[in-house]
Amino acid sequence: MVLLRRALAALGIAGLIAAVLRLRGSGGTPPQEGGWRELSGPELQ
Amino acid sequence: MAARVLLVGAGAVGARAARQLVEADDVDEVVVVEPDGARRSAVVTSSGDKATDGGPSSEGVAGAVDAVLLAGPNGTHLDEARRHLALGRTVVSCADGIPDVSGLLDLGPEAEARGTRVVVGAGFSPGLTCVLARHAARRFEVVDEIHVARSGTGGPACARAHHRALSGTSLDWRDGGWQRRPAGSGRELCWFPDPVGGQDCYRAQLPDALLLVPPFPGVNRVTARMAATRRDRITAHLPMLRKPHPEGLVGAGRVEVRGRHQGAQDVVVLGVLDRPAVAAGAVAALALRWALAERLPVGAHGLAILEDTVGFLRELAHIGIKAAAFEGSAT
Repeated sequence: MVLLRRALAALGIAGLIAAVLRLRGSGGTPPQEGGWRELSGPELQ
Repeated sequence: MAARVLLVGAGAVGARAARQLVEADDVDEVVVVEPDGARRSAVVTSSGDKATDGGPSSEGVAGAVDAVLLAGPNGTHLDEARRHLALGRTVVSCADGIPDVSGLLDLGPEAEARGTRVVVGAGFSPGLTCVLARHAARRFEVVDEIHVARSGTGGPACARAHHRALSGTSLDWRDGGWQRRPAGSGRELCWFPDPVGGQDCYRAQLPDALLLVPPFPGVNRVTARMAATRRDRITAHLPMLRKPHPEGLVGAGRVEVRGRHQGAQDVVVLGVLDRPAVAAGAVAALALRWALAERLPVGAHGLAILEDTVGFLRELAHIGIKAAAFEGSAT
């Protein structure tokens, strides 16, 4: 039983650390509209 | 008058540059120099009649040479450039390491005294991204910030440089001074042209700021980032765990320029999508031809010094390397 509790505690702590590492930092916001278009016409004249 | 060009390095970038050069009317002969005999022979054979075998070292090449394209690994460019510059030859380098780029830019006074050109960082990024930065800056009276990001690698030497770049020290320009930060820090989600899309990018030991600050006097911030995975960052301080691929897959470059136009602040984002070695070879070959045609200024500069960005981008578009503009909103 003690072993099981320790294993669960270890998994929980590992999950918490992984979550912190995953979420840490501001990754920015992906563009919500618009997109890429090829340069052409007046932009290349 | 057609030129005789010395190509030093026949890796992924050098091979592509050779193909571009032999197809140019203003190039008469491409002498390929490469320590690896099998690779050198393969490039000479596949590049047609204009390509000739120059042996393992450029010191053994006899006869007049008009220009030299350095496409070998980082660390080999500076000594070669010094030697060829002393002979009055035009030099174009694809180096993307800070020591090489810094040393090559220091050759500026000698190049000016000799009336010749040293083109520094003429590859995919830096190189094409420098052209895009200049092109985007045309829309502004004042350029405040330039942020470059890149994704993907060319040949094995480029992959090794990418690996090392994540464990070094980044070099950014901020408020009139150089700022050094640990590479691998500063995560930022950068949006590249499809299908690369959004990639987490980090500071890295990249020379872009060295090439972009001098042509944009008064710029406040210049940064460079590189797309990397968590595995790239974790293993950056270790030797490469496996041999790099012969060539990376599709890569992308992205340049964000912030500035002022008629008193209003605005941002322009330009990008490009291609296999980095293919694009780097094409940019290097075109830069060499433009330098020979005296369409680049005397001295040692990156490609952000270019005035006719439209002409340069149009020639690249003609061979399939097309720039793109991002139009959208982050909100």
